[in-house]
Amino acid sequence: MTADQLILNQSGRIVEITSSPLKINLMELGFLPGKQLTLQHKAPSGGPLAFQLEETLLALRKNEAALIRIELIS
Amino acid sequence: MAAKEHSPPRIAIIGNPNVGKSTLFNYLTGLNQKIGNYPGVTVDKKTGTLQIEGEQFEILDLPGTYSLFPNSEDEIIAHRVLNNPELEKRPDYVLMVIDSTQLSRGLFLATQLIDLGVNLTILLNMADLATAKNIEIRSYELFKQLGVPILQTDARNQKGLEQIKELIHQRNFAKAPQFVDILKVVPPSILDLVKEKFELENHYQAYQMIRFGAKDKSISEEKRSWLAQVLEENKFNLEEVQLEETKIRYKKITDLVTKALTKKSAPKAKSSLDKVVLHPFFGYLVFIGVLLLIFQTLFSWASYPMDWIDGFFADVSGGILATFPDGPLTRLLAEGVVPGIGGVVIFIPQIALLFGFLAILEDTGYMSRVVFLLDRWMRPFGLHGKSIVPLVSGVACAIPGVMAARNISNWKEKMITILVTPLMSCSARLPVYIILIGLSVPNEQVFGFINLQALALLSLYVLGVLGVLGTAFLLKVILKTDEKSFLMTELPSYRIPRWKDVGITMFEKSKTFVFEAGKVILAISIVLWVLASYGPPTTMEEIRRQGTAQQEQALSPEQVALIEAETNSLLLENSFIGIMGRAIEPAIQPLGYDWKIGIALITSFAAREVFISTIATIYSIGGDLKDDLTIREKLAAQVNANTGEKTFTPATSYSLLVFYVFAMQCMSTLAVVKRETKGWKWPIIQTVYMSALAYLMAFITFQIFS
Repeated sequence: MTADQLILNQSGRIVEITSSPLKINLMELGFLPGKQLTLQHKAPSGGPLAFQLEETLLALRKNEAALIRIELIS
Repeated sequence: MAAKEHSPPRIAIIGNPNVGKSTLFNYLTGLNQKIGNYPGVTVDKKTGTLQIEGEQFEILDLPGTYSLFPNSEDEIIAHRVLNNPELEKRPDYVLMVIDSTQLSRGLFLATQLIDLGVNLTILLNMADLATAKNIEIRSYELFKQLGVPILQTDARNQKGLEQIKELIHQRNFAKAPQFVDILKVVPPSILDLVKEKFELENHYQAYQMIRFGAKDKSISEEKRSWLAQVLEENKFNLEEVQLEETKIRYKKITDLVTKALTKKSAPKAKSSLDKVVLHPFFGYLVFIGVLLLIFQTLFSWASYPMDWIDGFFADVSGGILATFPDGPLTRLLAEGVVPGIGGVVIFIPQIALLFGFLAILEDTGYMSRVVFLLDRWMRPFGLHGKSIVPLVSGVACAIPGVMAARNISNWKEKMITILVTPLMSCSARLPVYIILIGLSVPNEQVFGFINLQALALLSLYVLGVLGVLGTAFLLKVILKTDEKSFLMTELPSYRIPRWKDVGITMFEKSKTFVFEAGKVILAISIVLWVLASYGPPTTMEEIRRQGTAQQEQALSPEQVALIEAETNSLLLENSFIGIMGRAIEPAIQPLGYDWKIGIALITSFAAREVFISTIATIYSIGGDLKDDLTIREKLAAQVNANTGEKTFTPATSYSLLVFYVFAMQCMSTLAVVKRETKGWKWPIIQTVYMSALAYLMAFITFQIFS
């Protein structure tokens, strides 16, 4: 699954970042395979998503989050 | 780095966004700051000077960036400064600021700098936050592994800052050994070629040149096409190489951080403040509350200092006229230069207040939350979440709004925001709206409770917003850029604002406006004054002579005032602007205007509210201009010389109202857009499109109602 499919307060571990011109931006922000993220907030009507990644809260657009392939942590 | 140290030595500060770079820069340079230009980009160059024990240093504040990848203009600047092929243009030393709670991310940029071979020191800032989060960094371990000096600081609480000065004074910077061997990623053959061609010092610099070469317009055309050809021949895939580099670099950093950092805290719980601020419903309520506060400030609180400034400059003008003998020079000073300067200074309260607010919102971390909430609603129009600030500010005044657009990093989104912000109905339009609505819309209630005039006013504001959205949407389709739009932003922890930084921001923004946009505003206002005061000498002389003769025969002071007002009206009608007004009459007739209105359209290019005073002069309305009723009654009685009908029919008034909703009619906005886009191209395009839009809409309005 991808990070945009998480529901609030669900966590996932990053498997890989799908190839895209934005891949490098995601990686330099710290979205790296193996790291754990949690969906904390959702802006309404398909707006941005806020993920807790280690110490930081990071906001991504839905299409940006869709590039992050994760496995669900239950 | 350059072999020989500059005099004074140059030190660049670099770091990720939100790491306290500006606080450090403000601490080191205080008010000794200067804002300049980098050629070819819209990013400002911030420099300042620092004195330590009598020795002077030059400090350069680079824009915040996460890496040396070519993502935006900000990164191109970082590259151009640090990797300039002309070695003597590079800084001597670099201070890299890292947020201690974001060590890995900071080290990503820091190790790229190390590989570039810069003379570096790392500041581990925000030590207080790290302690609060139970993060312990063993800086000696980092120093051993990296080979550059490391200092732990807390710029917010003034800890470790003295040591930074000490360290600068002693030149305690080091060039460390390569962190990532780039030859493992890029074949040496290409790197050697590039290194030789650009006369660079090492392979990473060559790799860096490959990365930015095509995008950096400061590099000669010849070298750029050479670079493109080499990459083409070698089938070089930049994206793949960057990803590979990122993987290797982060792998090494992770190993390093494991050794140097201990974290004892449990995973962070959701901030309780964010539960409200980012809430899908209450978040917007909070935001509207903040907007109302800003709005209130810009609209009403700013009006007090603005009135003082207005009164002060009027007094100065009056003083000059009373003190010096009457003559062209005295008049130029009292009626051209002083009001011109006053017209610049008058904007300071709004600029300072808006930027004070923005600095607080930015500093507390709230601004990124606003972006989070608004992005979804701005995007369909080619705007960014950050565009909301310029647009809202535009309701008070477009000038601070346009200046605030620089926080938008994507070029296209920034340009669209700048181009549409002046379409929001600003406070200078209000006097025009009120007079014309009073003239043309009956003061009656509909449905028993809605006032028609209020409804008309509201419609004008709505029309402005529709103009913004429509134009933004069109520009989204028209403007082209390779830069990709992305949100990807950090929502930093909430913090108390640093009042000193807020103060410095307010001061710097006002100073930049006065000295950069002020020049253009002053120049245009003097030109307009000359055009309105002078005309063909014989005609003007004759009018004056007759006026004086009539005044001598006048029987009462009232009559003198009346004759004077009529003389002034005749003078304006026959001045160069009057002649221009007549010349454009054929063009504005389809909008329902006569040449007298034409004159007011030209003079009010200085600022929209000038429309009222010009109209008052032309129709020789003496007395107190603040008295709307007098102006309104006089205007209502005016007859159009061409048609014999009333000049201000409802159709003409509506058409004028619509014209002022869309027309640029503000030289200060023009000047500030020129300053922000670093050239005349965009302000001219903007004036042309807004005037065309205003003309078209006014034409349609007049045709419908006449």
